[in-house]
Amino acid sequence: MKTHKLFENNSHTWLMFGRDDEKPEQIIDTNQYIVISNKNALLMDPGGIELFSAMLSAVIKQLPADKITHLFASHQDPDIISSLGLWDQALPSATLHSPWIWESFIKHFGMNNISYAAIPDEGSSLKIDQVTLDFIPAHYLHSSGNFNVYDKEAKILMSGDIGAALETVDAPLFVEDFDEHIDKMKMFHQRWMPSNEAKNDWVKRVRKLDIEMMCPQHGRIFKGDNVKRFLDWFEALEVGLITKAKAKE
Amino acid sequence: MSELSNNYFVSVAEIAAKLDQATRIAQQLSLTASNARAVALRAGERAAGFRPLTDFIDRLAEITIKSSRKINKLAATLSQTSADKVRADSAIAHFKVVFVKAKDSEFISSLDEVHQRSLTRQAKLDCSYRRQIDRLSDELEMLSSELRNAVILATLSRVEASQAGTQYQDALINVADNVEGAASKIKEHIYYSQQMVSTLEEY
Repeated sequence: MKTHKLFENNSHTWLMFGRDDEKPEQIIDTNQYIVISNKNALLMDPGGIELFSAMLSAVIKQLPADKITHLFASHQDPDIISSLGLWDQALPSATLHSPWIWESFIKHFGMNNISYAAIPDEGSSLKIDQVTLDFIPAHYLHSSGNFNVYDKEAKILMSGDIGAALETVDAPLFVEDFDEHIDKMKMFHQRWMPSNEAKNDWVKRVRKLDIEMMCPQHGRIFKGDNVKRFLDWFEALEVGLITKAKAKE
Repeated sequence: MSELSNNYFVSVAEIAAKLDQATRIAQQLSLTASNARAVALRAGERAAGFRPLTDFIDRLAEITIKSSRKINKLAATLSQTSADKVRADSAIAHFKVVFVKAKDSEFISSLDEVHQRSLTRQAKLDCSYRRQIDRLSDELEMLSSELRNAVILATLSRVEASQAGTQYQDALINVADNVEGAASKIKEHIYYSQQMVSTLEEY
């Protein structure tokens, strides 16, 4: 698993873990992100059970395990958080921040030690040392209870499945040619995202944020002008297509 | 009869299922006892020798139900312990991989405490697992020896049935057959469970 530094200043660092060439072939490649502040760290969408060893090995090369005091799961999917039962053994004092609607579901992955901090529908903020991170609502994109993480200072939006693309493990980290990249993400957004209304509501909300990097959970990171290009493209895209196709039958 | 499973936590769940079937059969045995009592009453003096036997059938059913339920509960606890054991074993296996993959990391020792805690938990679960298997094994043996009485009970029932006259003889012989049949089915489940428990002891 590769580690890439996305941002660093005096107060904190953003790292991305991904492009795991040792992962089993049948499982989708995922990007994991961590914000490391002075004495604490937030690990976002730590991944599936199959990735746990690779993930913990990558993390432990960067910081001591007990510094990871917070975990974040954007939603309940197995590729996001099925490793919880193992993190529960590795980080028994940590707090998991996740949508309130998934609390009793996510606990099925095994959670005897970690505490659950339920994020309300309207979102909330987390302060770790000097860093404030905002949990931005992204409901129905694709999960019915879903959040992004925004760091105003670093101008980074961890966008979960929004902006995700299905690619090989040797794909570049950043989107280079946006138009070329559309093919890799179009079906994913049309099939997995159910609601145009929810999508447009999210686009409206996110346009107000100052974003330098938009970091999805699969595929490549959008940087600079490509963030705006993505928002324009996504706004114009019709999603939830399977229902319409079925209705025509 | 299905093959013994290679996964111990699956075997434990299978034992619980087998014993659940044994409880159901014991409940049928209880019905047989009530039926026998009714027939013996109708037969009057001619079945006077049979009546005390119905109390024994009742007692056998009661003991079997009670014991099956207890064993069932033990098997369910054992099932939970084995699932916890699988999870603890899995965490330790993952930690081992991390210790190899990140052996040069300056922070690798930060995992020592949680690794040690997992090992302690694994040892505790292992200990509970062995203790629960022993208890399960003892209970199965106790129930098995109780059921040996069923054969004697069935034989005595047949002897008494032959005294009851033609009108009631068939019904009472049927009671004896039911007692013997139920006991034999329960014993079969117990034997199967005992075989499974012996494989569990190897883990």
